[in-house]
Amino acid sequence: MDRRELLAVLGATAALSLPGLAQAQTARAICYNCPPEWADWGGMLRLIGQRLNISVPPDNKNSGQALAALIAERANPVADIAYFGGQFGPKARAAGVLTPYRPVRFNDIPSGMRDPDGYWFTIHYGTLGLFVNTAALRGRPVPQSWRDLLNPVYRGMIGYLNPASAAVGQLGVIAVNLALGGTFENLDPGINFFRQLRANQPIVPIQTAYARVLSGEIPILLDFDFNAYRARFRDNAPAAFVIPSEGTQQLPYIMGLVARGPNPDQGRRILDFVLSDEGQRHWGNAFMRPVFAAALTAEMRARFLPEAEYARARPVDVFRLAAASAAIAERYRREVV
Amino acid sequence: MRKRGLAYWFLLALTLLVSAFLIVPVGMSILAGLTVNYFIGVESGLTLQWLAQVWSDHRHTVFLSLKIALACLFCTLLIGVPTAYVLARRQNAFTRALEELLVMPVAIPGLATALALIVMYGGMGDFRRSWSFILVGHVLFTLPFMVRSVLAVLSSIDLKTFEEGARSLGASFTQRFFGIVLPNCRSGILAGSLMVVTLSLGEFNMTLLLHTPLTPTLPVGLADAYASLRMEVGSAYTLVFFIIIIPLLVVMQWAAAPARIGTGQSR
Amino acid sequence: MFNTLLRDDRLWLVALLAPVAIFFIAFFLLPLGRLFLIGGSGELGWGAYVAAFTDPYYIRSLVATLMLSVSVTVVTLVISGFVGVFLQRNQFSGRALLTAMLTLPLAFPGVVVGFMVIMLAGRQGLIPDVTEALTGERLVFAYSMAGLFMGYVYFSIPRTILTVMAAAEKLDPRVEEAARSLGAGQWRVVRDVLVPGLKPALLSAGAICFATAMGAFGTAFTLATRINVLPMVIYTEFTLQANIAMAAALSFVLGAITWVALLLARTSAGRTVAAAG
Repeated sequence: MDRRELLAVLGATAALSLPGLAQAQTARAICYNCPPEWADWGGMLRLIGQRLNISVPPDNKNSGQALAALIAERANPVADIAYFGGQFGPKARAAGVLTPYRPVRFNDIPSGMRDPDGYWFTIHYGTLGLFVNTAALRGRPVPQSWRDLLNPVYRGMIGYLNPASAAVGQLGVIAVNLALGGTFENLDPGINFFRQLRANQPIVPIQTAYARVLSGEIPILLDFDFNAYRARFRDNAPAAFVIPSEGTQQLPYIMGLVARGPNPDQGRRILDFVLSDEGQRHWGNAFMRPVFAAALTAEMRARFLPEAEYARARPVDVFRLAAASAAIAERYRREVV
Repeated sequence: MRKRGLAYWFLLALTLLVSAFLIVPVGMSILAGLTVNYFIGVESGLTLQWLAQVWSDHRHTVFLSLKIALACLFCTLLIGVPTAYVLARRQNAFTRALEELLVMPVAIPGLATALALIVMYGGMGDFRRSWSFILVGHVLFTLPFMVRSVLAVLSSIDLKTFEEGARSLGASFTQRFFGIVLPNCRSGILAGSLMVVTLSLGEFNMTLLLHTPLTPTLPVGLADAYASLRMEVGSAYTLVFFIIIIPLLVVMQWAAAPARIGTGQSR
Repeated sequence: MFNTLLRDDRLWLVALLAPVAIFFIAFFLLPLGRLFLIGGSGELGWGAYVAAFTDPYYIRSLVATLMLSVSVTVVTLVISGFVGVFLQRNQFSGRALLTAMLTLPLAFPGVVVGFMVIMLAGRQGLIPDVTEALTGERLVFAYSMAGLFMGYVYFSIPRTILTVMAAAEKLDPRVEEAARSLGAGQWRVVRDVLVPGLKPALLSAGAICFATAMGAFGTAFTLATRINVLPMVIYTEFTLQANIAMAAALSFVLGAITWVALLLARTSAGRTVAAAG
């Protein structure tokens, strides 16, 4: 190999690796925690591309990872907007990573579902329950209550998201806790339940486990109604959603504008859009409960479980949940893991 | 001339079992990526729809991974080959310390290296958001493999004699480097190159923290697919990964083999 | 004097080290230094480094990771030792194919390995199918320590087997023949001739195997077991209210332990380890 050959090789590899340096300049924005398969963010991002001409790549972080990334990048943020489970709103505000922005219909949002100073607001909410792949149960009865999950017949079949970093994981602990008689201050019933659940060898993923329910790996997942409905109506899977008989909680999902983000104008336009009629209808189509209930048509309503079932579900107090979330994670870590 | 005793058959069985352990899941995964419905199994039929879906939704991750791997190769060649040469020429406390230092990114968990880069350079917005941020991590991790590969070859030949001979005939340093050193470590460069590209394509630990939604690589996209999409899509995505990586591994095997015979040095 | 410097190339050698020096200082040493300082700047201050060794949760995780890595290394070396020597010593058709198959998982990210484990031992896996056919019970172990262990062995075997094969090639078969002609049985030959002969390669491969297992993250991330290996703990500390300080402190502890292990392996095997890779 002489000098010319070497230079040719080096030149070739350099040339092949350089093209990507020049990037197309389109209007874009970055969203943290906009997973394409969750709440049909994929469809929403496409809609944003069509209606607003803003290109937003999907992002698969969960609430905890998104907050951690925002804090780590505080000096020079990468993201423009972020989507969280409700209890992360107060936390994100306290961490100083959000900046106030009140979209047009902000004041129409119920006061328990928005930050009083405009740092974050609810766009839709869902109900926690049991997302079941009935075929993967192989003949076992579909569980109807939280306590049913402790039945040894479901050994190895139950999953729940990690309370240490996923919003729905923390919601699971508090939902069980409140359903079994606990309070936001007294976490004993909930923690004890999960400790007892260990005997049934649960699987504890960190990120969404939708695929694993469909594939039968996790036949019973503590998850939201919208994921179960999507499995049943979009992916035609043998999925059922159960609202446990002891009761459960509903979690609002919120969005906020990232402080000192690179594209704040695009970020604001997107936040306006997710609260617009068209945006809210999209959430309804994705089996979410839009924060403006009027956007829900009768046709959409027909796909949910009957209202009588939903009477057992209460909206969770996100401020109290935010205050309790450190304790939940700590106790879970110490007593259950 | 050893008779084929019991030990032979036992070891053959063990070898076949281990090979099956490693390969059967690969086959199952490939099949899952081509099946209509994973839960039902092969009875549901075979299809290319998942591959098509992966290609249309995720091919940007494939191109980015390939781009980073090639850039990584370029950098490790530029940085690593001269380093290996110096390490072969001189063996003292300083060069030993340097070797230890080079190995450190392999010893320290990828998460830590990524965290370190983020706390140091996370504030530089453009650098943080570009794919070169990921490239830096990959070069740190793959450099010792290139250096070790070239150094192994250089250590096994009598470099000093060749160079002294050439120098006594009046050759300058650059003439010696390009005319003697490089041709002689060709096999090391080739083996090292394949190793670097392969490792870069599969790197996940560091890339998970270093990437942004604008710069997802194949392994990161793959992890996302397993989490949130159907198993069939994840498997099809893995199949795409296999299609890229398996030819590289085969070439790596074939290229390393002739080097083993004769010089007796390892890969 | 300048002529002397030129004559023994000293100037050139220093110049050739410039790229690696600049790169490492800028992108490794300085960032790690900063990370070390951040490790001591959290709520616990420098106590974070102490907490890494005293908090029961972290101790449990560290011990679990150590035990897992050591056992994976031992099992992998035994398997790779036997299979590697066997493949090196015996010619048969399909040998090249088998070798290629054994080194295939070398490039798989941990995510893919985790998925392979699920294919083998998950709810819909092959092994549960077999055990169901044989005993009626489905043995699902993908999400337990056994599954994680299997995953680690899965990506460790390819890394070690080539080193073993290369070293086996360098062994002089005449020594074994001599031992056998003096009456040594098969096992004694293995123990007293083969293993010592392969020792440098085994140590070197074992060290890399140990280091990889200690730092492995993708497999545990995918399998999402309740078992917390230290890299997972570091990751969740980072995402648990962005506890960067604790994550940094734990990373250093993990890195230090691994690096010491590698150092021990290198010094006990001698200089040849570096070249043998």
